Amino acid sequence: MRSELHYDAVVIGAGVAGLVAGTRLAEGGARVCVLAKGVGSTHLAPGTVDVLGYAPERVDEPGRAVGELIAARPDHPYALIGIETIGEALAWLAERVAQGPLHGYRYVGGLERNHLLPTAVGVVRPSTLVPETMAGGDLRAGGPVCIVGSPVLRDFHPSLCAANLVRAGVDARSVELTFEVDRADQNALGLARRFDDPSWRAAFASQLAPRLQGEERVGLPAVLGSTDPHGAWSDLEERLGRRVFEIPTLPPSVPGMRLFEVLRSALRANGGRLVLGSEVVAAERADGRVVSVSGHASGRDVRYVAPSFVLATGGFASGAIELGSDWVTREQVLGLPLRGEPPAGEPRFVGEYLTEQPMARVGVAVDAQLRAEGAENVVVAGAALPGAVPWRELSGEGIAVASGHRAATVILSRAAAGAAA
Amino acid sequence: MASLTTDVLVIGGGATGTGVAWDAALRGFEVVLVDRADLSEGTSGRFHGLLHSGGRYVVKDPRAAEECIAENGIVRRVAADCIEDTGGLFVTTPFDDPEYADRFVAGCRATGVDCEEIPVAQAIRQEPRLNPGISRAFRVPDGNIDAWKTIWSMARGVTERGGRVMPYHAAVAIHRDGDEVTGARLRDTRSGEEVDVEARMTVNAAGAWAGRVADLAGIEGVRILPGRGIMIAMNHRLVNTVVNRCQMPSDGDIIVPIRTVSVIGTTDQHTEDPDDQTVMQSEVDAMLDDGEKLVPGFRRARALRVWTGVRPLFEDAKASDTDTRDVTRAHALLDHAERDGISRFVTITGGKLTTFRLMAEETMNAVCAQLGEDRPCTTTTQPLPGSEGGQHYRLGERLERKEQHLREEQLICECELIPRSKLEATLRRTGTMNLDDIRRLLRLGMGPCQGGFCIYRATGVLHGLDGLTAEQADEALLHFLQERWKGVWPILYGDQLRQARLDDWIFQGVLDVEHLPS
Repeated sequence: MRSELHYDAVVIGAGVAGLVAGTRLAEGGARVCVLAKGVGSTHLAPGTVDVLGYAPERVDEPGRAVGELIAARPDHPYALIGIETIGEALAWLAERVAQGPLHGYRYVGGLERNHLLPTAVGVVRPSTLVPETMAGGDLRAGGPVCIVGSPVLRDFHPSLCAANLVRAGVDARSVELTFEVDRADQNALGLARRFDDPSWRAAFASQLAPRLQGEERVGLPAVLGSTDPHGAWSDLEERLGRRVFEIPTLPPSVPGMRLFEVLRSALRANGGRLVLGSEVVAAERADGRVVSVSGHASGRDVRYVAPSFVLATGGFASGAIELGSDWVTREQVLGLPLRGEPPAGEPRFVGEYLTEQPMARVGVAVDAQLRAEGAENVVVAGAALPGAVPWRELSGEGIAVASGHRAATVILSRAAAGAAA
Repeated sequence: MASLTTDVLVIGGGATGTGVAWDAALRGFEVVLVDRADLSEGTSGRFHGLLHSGGRYVVKDPRAAEECIAENGIVRRVAADCIEDTGGLFVTTPFDDPEYADRFVAGCRATGVDCEEIPVAQAIRQEPRLNPGISRAFRVPDGNIDAWKTIWSMARGVTERGGRVMPYHAAVAIHRDGDEVTGARLRDTRSGEEVDVEARMTVNAAGAWAGRVADLAGIEGVRILPGRGIMIAMNHRLVNTVVNRCQMPSDGDIIVPIRTVSVIGTTDQHTEDPDDQTVMQSEVDAMLDDGEKLVPGFRRARALRVWTGVRPLFEDAKASDTDTRDVTRAHALLDHAERDGISRFVTITGGKLTTFRLMAEETMNAVCAQLGEDRPCTTTTQPLPGSEGGQHYRLGERLERKEQHLREEQLICECELIPRSKLEATLRRTGTMNLDDIRRLLRLGMGPCQGGFCIYRATGVLHGLDGLTAEQADEALLHFLQERWKGVWPILYGDQLRQARLDDWIFQGVLDVEHLPS
C-alpha cells in the first residue's frame, strides 16, 4: 500500500539550506515537510557561517567583497541572491539561534568584517557569523594565546596548531592535559557530552588553571558542551578567569550539530515536519513541473504532493549530483539539467591538488529566481547551486543560509500572488 | 666526505635488490643496500600484488612459467607471512577464444604448473560475482604477495645481520679503476651529503632504471624497455580468488584480491622514461570495461586509487618497439666481466616480483664466482624475519588483533587499523618525516577515506615527536595530500568523487591548509 501526503511545499535535503528554507516557509504559514536521506553537512562543517573568506585573497570585509564578486561573476549564486538577502538571512539566522533551544547560545558577527579564527592546524581563517564560543579566538585582538588539548582527542593537535600560529605571527603556545577515559578512541562529540557535566568542567578547569600564564586566552577544540554550550563555555570562562574559545576540528562537528538542533527546533516550532531517513527515489513530472516525489523509508514509498519544491540536496559530496563511470554528470534526485561542467574533451580534474578543479563549479541550472531549468516549481538552494567553489572561497554556509532564505521568499511570494489572483 | 667499505654494494631497493642484499647477508657478506628513494618505491611497490602460479605464461613464455611455479612454492614457504593463499582461477569468458583453454592445459602440463579444471558451477559458487557466461574454469596456485612487507622483512634481516640499508641515497657516480668497478658515490637526496662506498662487488639492481646505473659505470648497451601499465584498486574484494581470463596475456585480464581491495591490471604502454607515471583516461576506461567482462557490475563498484608501474624489460632482438608484452618476462643477469670486460660489477634486471628470490640467488652466485668464493645460497630454506611461523596472512588478521585492544589503543587510521603507538614507534624507528614512507610501511591513508581523517592526525603525531618544526610538519602534510591526490584524480567518479569532495571540505574548508604560513 502506498500512502500520499499533501503539503504546500516540500523541501528535499536537511542541511543548512533545506532547514533554513523549510523553517522560513513554515514561519510564512506554509504547511511544509523537509524530507531527507540523512542529516546534511552540518555535522561535518565547522558550524560557522562563512560568507566569503577568500576572493582569492583573504577577505576582511565580506559585504564589500561579495559586492565585488557579484559584479565580477554573474554566474555566482550570490549574484542571483543579492547582497540584501544575504544580510537579511544572516540576521534571521542569528535571531533563530538566540531564540533557540540552546539557552543563551548565540552567533555574533556580520557582513562588515570577518573574524580571523584559528583552525585546528593553526591557519588564521576568515569567518563571518560565528558562535560566541568561538568569537574569543579572533586573532585581530592580539595578545597571547594558549591552545589546549589532550592526547585523548586524536582529532586535535594543540602543539601543531600553536606552532603554526607562531609562524603566522601570533604569540601562541600549547598545553596538553591528560584525563582518564573509558576508551582510547574519543571523538569530539563524546568529549562534548562530558563538558555538559559541571563536575567534569570543574575538574578540567582545576587541572588547566595552574598551567596558564599572564593574559593568555585559551583555545580548546570545539567540544564545549552539546546540550548547553553557552553554560559550559561561560562556566569555563568564569572558572579560568579569562577568555575561552572553541576551535573547530575534524568531524563530527559539535558546533555544526548545535546549529542543526537550532534549525530543527525552529522548523518544528512553526509546525514544519522533518522526515529523515527517507530518500527520494522517484518524481512525478507534468508540464514542466514536479507534481510529487516519492520518499522511500522503512521498506515503503510515500508520495509527497506539493505545488512547490525546494531542492537543497547538496552537490557531489552528498551524492545528489554524481559523475558516473561513463563520465556523465547527473542530478540524481529529479534528473534536472546541470551547469558549470568543463567543455567536452577538457580535463575534469587536474593533477595539482590545491588549485581550482575544473569540475568544482558544477550545479543545477537555475534562473534568476533560483528556479530549476525545466521544472519551474522547483527552487534550488545550497550546494546544489552552480557557480561557486565554497570550500575554497569559504562561502558554503553563506550560500546555504542566503539561498535557503531566498528560496522560501520565492515560494511564499508566488503563493501570495496565486492567492491574490 | 664520509666513506664506507663493504663486500657487496647493491644499488636498487626493490624486491630484487633487497633480495640480493638478503641473500648476500645470509652468505655472510657485508652488504650495503641503497636506493635513490624509499625501498619499494619503484616497480616492486607498484604492481597488482600477484604471486604468479605461472599460468599466465604457460603458452606464451614457458620458461617464465617454469620459473614462476618453482619460485611460487619456495616463496610461499620462506615469505609465508607476506602471502595470502587465495588460489587462482583461469576462466574462459564469452570474450575469449574458446580454443585457448586446451592450449592452456597443455602448457600447464608442459611447464609443471598445477592446474585442475573445475565445473563452471563450482567456480561461480566460489566467486559469485564472476561473469555467469564463462564456459570453462581452471584452478591454479596463484596467490597474493605483499611486496612492501616482503621487502621490509628482508631489509630487517639484512640490518639484523650487520648490513646497512640506506634509502634516499642515489648513486651519482660508479667508481672505476681501469677495468674494475670499485664502488660508488652516493648522495643523500634529503640532505645533499655525499658518501663514497668502496665495495668488492657492486650489483646494479635498479630495475627499470638499470640502464642509467650501467651508464654511470661507463657500460653501454644495457637497454631497458620500460613498459608502463596502470592498475586500479577497487574498494572491495570483488573476488576472493585471483581471477585471470583464459587467453593470451593481455590488458585488463586479471583481478587480484589483496588486503581489503581488489586490483585490476594492467595496460602496457611503451615509454622512454621509467619515471613516467601518466594515467590516461582511455586506459582507465579500458580497465573498467575489462573489469565488466570478468565481473559484471564492475563499473558500479568504487575505484579507490590508480597507479602506474613500469616493467623493467630487458631488450630482446625479437621484441617490437611498441608491444613490450612480447619481451620475455624472464630476467636477465649481465656479468659485465664476461659481457664488457669490466669486472666486479653485475646487472640484474627484468623478471617479476614472484621470481625475486631466484634472481637474487643467481646474482649472488655470479658475485661469488667473481670473488672466487664458494658460499652456498640458503634463501630457499631460510624464512624471512616474521615468517618463521610458516603461517600465511589471513584477511581479517589485523582487525582480530585490533579488537583485542579496542579500548586501550587509539587508532590514527581507522581504515587500515593503525594504532597511535605503532605510528609513533615507526616514526621514531625510521626517523622519516615523509608520511608517504609511513604509507608504505603501515598502509597509512590507503583505505576508503583516502587520508581524510588520518592525515591531520598523523601530522599532529609527527609534529609531537622530538625536534620537528611546524614547517617540516606542514610540508609532510601538504606532500602527503598531494601524493594521495595523484592516485585518485584520474579515477574520480561515483563514490570516490564524493569522498574526495568530503576531504576537500575537511582540508580546505575546515582546516584551510592552503593558507598554511609559508
